[in-house]
Amino acid sequence: MGEEKRLSKKKNILFSIIAVVLLCILLFPLYWALITSLKTEQEIFRNPPTFYPHILNTKSYAAQVETGDFNMFRSFANSFLISMGATLIAVLLAVPASYGIAKYHFRARKALLLSFLVTQMLPVSVLLTPMFIMFKNMHVYNTWVAAVLADATIGIPFSVLILKNYFASIPKDLEEAAYLDGCNKFSAFVRILIPIAKPGVMVCAIFSFLYAWGDLAYGMTFILDQEKRPITAGIFNFMGQYGTKWSYLTAFAVVTIIPVALIFIFMQKYIVSGMTSGAVKG
Amino acid sequence: MARLKKFFRYENVGMLFVLPAFLYMLVFVGYPIVHNIILSFQDVNAGNLVKGTRNFILFENYLELFKDSVFTSSLWNTVRFTVSCLVFQFIAGFALALFFSKPFSFAKPVRGILLVPWMIPITVTALMFKLLFATDIGIINFLLRSLHLIEKNIEWLTTPGTAMFALICANVWIGIPFNMILISTGLTTIPKELYESASIDGAGKVQTFWKITLPLLKPTIESVLILGFIYTFKVYDLVYVMTSGGPVNATHMLSTYSYKLSFEMFKYSKGSAVANVLLVILLFVGVLYIKATTEGEDA
Amino acid sequence: MKKRKLTALLTALAMTAGILSGCGAKGGESAPADKAPAKDAQPAKDDAKEESGQESASSGEAQAVTIWYYWENEGHQVTLDQLIQEYNGSQAQYEVTAKYVPFADFKKQLSIGASADELPDIAILDSPDHASYVDMGIFEDLTGRFDVSNYYEGTVNSCTVDGKLYGVPFGANCLALYYNEDMLTAAGSSVPTTWDELVETAKALTTDSVSGLAFCSVQNEEGTFNFAPWLWSTGATSYDINNENGIRALTYIQNLINEGVMSKECINWTQGDVMNQFIAGNVAMMVNGPWQIPTMQSEAPDLNWKVTLIPKDQEYASVLGGENYAVVNGGNVDGALDFLTFATSEEKVKFMMNQFGYISADKTIAESQFAQDSPYYPFVEELNYAMPRGPLAEWPSVSDALSLAFNQVITGTATPEEAAAQAQATIDSIIK
Repeated sequence: MGEEKRLSKKKNILFSIIAVVLLCILLFPLYWALITSLKTEQEIFRNPPTFYPHILNTKSYAAQVETGDFNMFRSFANSFLISMGATLIAVLLAVPASYGIAKYHFRARKALLLSFLVTQMLPVSVLLTPMFIMFKNMHVYNTWVAAVLADATIGIPFSVLILKNYFASIPKDLEEAAYLDGCNKFSAFVRILIPIAKPGVMVCAIFSFLYAWGDLAYGMTFILDQEKRPITAGIFNFMGQYGTKWSYLTAFAVVTIIPVALIFIFMQKYIVSGMTSGAVKG
Repeated sequence: MARLKKFFRYENVGMLFVLPAFLYMLVFVGYPIVHNIILSFQDVNAGNLVKGTRNFILFENYLELFKDSVFTSSLWNTVRFTVSCLVFQFIAGFALALFFSKPFSFAKPVRGILLVPWMIPITVTALMFKLLFATDIGIINFLLRSLHLIEKNIEWLTTPGTAMFALICANVWIGIPFNMILISTGLTTIPKELYESASIDGAGKVQTFWKITLPLLKPTIESVLILGFIYTFKVYDLVYVMTSGGPVNATHMLSTYSYKLSFEMFKYSKGSAVANVLLVILLFVGVLYIKATTEGEDA
Repeated sequence: MKKRKLTALLTALAMTAGILSGCGAKGGESAPADKAPAKDAQPAKDDAKEESGQESASSGEAQAVTIWYYWENEGHQVTLDQLIQEYNGSQAQYEVTAKYVPFADFKKQLSIGASADELPDIAILDSPDHASYVDMGIFEDLTGRFDVSNYYEGTVNSCTVDGKLYGVPFGANCLALYYNEDMLTAAGSSVPTTWDELVETAKALTTDSVSGLAFCSVQNEEGTFNFAPWLWSTGATSYDINNENGIRALTYIQNLINEGVMSKECINWTQGDVMNQFIAGNVAMMVNGPWQIPTMQSEAPDLNWKVTLIPKDQEYASVLGGENYAVVNGGNVDGALDFLTFATSEEKVKFMMNQFGYISADKTIAESQFAQDSPYYPFVEELNYAMPRGPLAEWPSVSDALSLAFNQVITGTATPEEAAAQAQATIDSIIK
């Protein structure tokens, strides 16, 4: 671990208790979503509200798997494909870009950094029409590629902004040492710096993935066929012209979180530790 | 060719690293930005979206906007909302990041689980909070009454003032994990040795925090704040689903009003103009950020 | 030196972006020539289908016809699919597929599609929106091609602009008053028929845990849909609200809130939420539509409820809803017309209406659709008093002004007079 100090047993228990209490408070809305998904529509509207379902309703979960054209597993696959694609593009493009901005002080540097920020400054709704026209002309409309390309536009600037700090915090001596060993600028970048900045790269990959996973607007606008849409589109099965079906909707929420949450919990050691293991040792 | 090589010899080689990402964004977002600016200078609605001529009326849309009371209140709402959210979620995220950096047994798993609010599609979160804040069947009123903190149910989403508060709560709930994890990872870029030598020199906790942690976290903090500001300023899904900009337009933000104008009232140019106002304000903030963060860095 | 290289680079990029975007809104580039013949109606296999409407396929291959609809109800989707399969099986020239575009996204998708020249061949859309799209010029003129002489006048009006027919009504619905029979009997009240009676009955039925009356009052089209009957019952129209009739309507609604018989929460309740409140027993009477009946019957089979006309002020009034078929011009118009001829035949209309739980827009069918003791029957009666919203290309803006006015009096942020004046000012600026 590398931590010199160990916490006293008392402090350890105290902090752990505080952590669990915080967890309960902060995750209360999720608990509420869970029990709402198991209540009947009538019970959801009961006044005063009930803390646990008096009548268990599991219809909402059965409906999640297949509803009309919508198939949960296929949609998960779509979401996964789209999110991975967007993450890949974001990481491939943003890692070198943030390195360039962090380490090299060329004239246009500030302007370039600002321009990445500017791309995030318009609300998604006004970007939809021109992007749609572009994707149609590229013949990727109604394919997962359009969603990947669109989602990557969120991941890239975000990653550049965050990663540049990582590269900036790596001392110059490491680079100098690499050059002395005979690397040119590009191989030094690949061989030395990326591994050290791994925590930062992990953060960017994860955030890009999550942003793409949670995206609704791009996935809905650029993909017309139900079976190609990401999982987020499934929400419209329970939200229609005349209102919301609450138990189904919350069941949907629970079901969509599960895979991502599971990935996090099992990869937790790797991911979160990877993010927080510390970039620079000496 | 030789000139090219000379150009890229020293610092300018950095441009090559940035080029792919920059080109990508230029194509996929640059064109939409230009398209939007042009649209806002025209007079496009349902009648001439497809057929007919689009006349250029330049700044007329903008001038009319400033006479529109819903626009001015959306502007003010967006600023209020963003600043409030940022303050709360940043402080809470920071505090949690510090707390979870301590090596107690539950630290890592709990911190991982606390990321979950951020994984839920925003539309779903918005609906959840709408249910939580419902006047008669909402659990928040129930809890507040049970704890005898209030006597009558608060009409959260049907009263202008409290509706904004409910929105801020929901957004802060989503924003805390974002801030927490970014600051956590930022904390790891601080070499442990610094803390060790500080404690050897006899520095107290508060001193260490102000003199070591904060200054070294500055770049991370700045990135988190600017990104947080931009994303919160653009807030759309949360507001649209939770209050639709109501009650009586009291919680309209620039982005929700822009959407309403463009896609519900067919006033495409007006909607674009509202979006551009948002852009200009954010641009201003962005320039401030750049100035503040790259001062003293130029060789 | 550096600057020139940079400028050259940027110009090249701008050109790339320009090429990718086709240098403008209308698709300057034609759809690609490689068309895979349509195999299955569902699921659609490739995106070539979307563009094939623009071309005629070589003989021997079925031409594709695409429909966009927004029904998320699984039953509706299945029924539509059955209709389509039957049609596809009955002839070999056209192959129809239907795409679900969620209601919340429908108008946006049509706008974007219009800009990008990526529209379906048939759209099934909400009737009050029809006029705006006619204004956009994307719907085909169908005058003389369909016999709508037996249809309810209001339904035909919603797709008629300048005397020309731009669509065919799919089905009709309207709003009426539901009441909890048990609660009414327990309170010893009779079924209200006038506004005064309604308030009295509502008061008698209101308790600590029960609200006398509820209806959707959201500030959007759904809300305007629900406010219209009250406004129109006074004799005021959607375009002339700042008079004693309009103010009386606003005052009446405000009164319902002040007397405590209607909850302010209604401004956040969709029609579905209102129904949920009704079947949960939190609300004694509600104004809602016939499409709720299947859900109510399955979710609350033991609830004793009945339907009656919305109580009147000056005259009985209700509001017309429902969807219309529209044919997009520039698409596969022949295929669309062929399908519509099939779909609007009496036999098919009866099938669709009964499966959907809709009332036919065709008067002759509607009047024999339901038995007198069917819960749907009062809605057919109410249809005689139902008027459409608009039609007006700028209806959404007028609608917004109206629902805002009602929301203002409900939340108490304006008096009926102020709200009416403000709404009138907005409406005047729209219709000039």
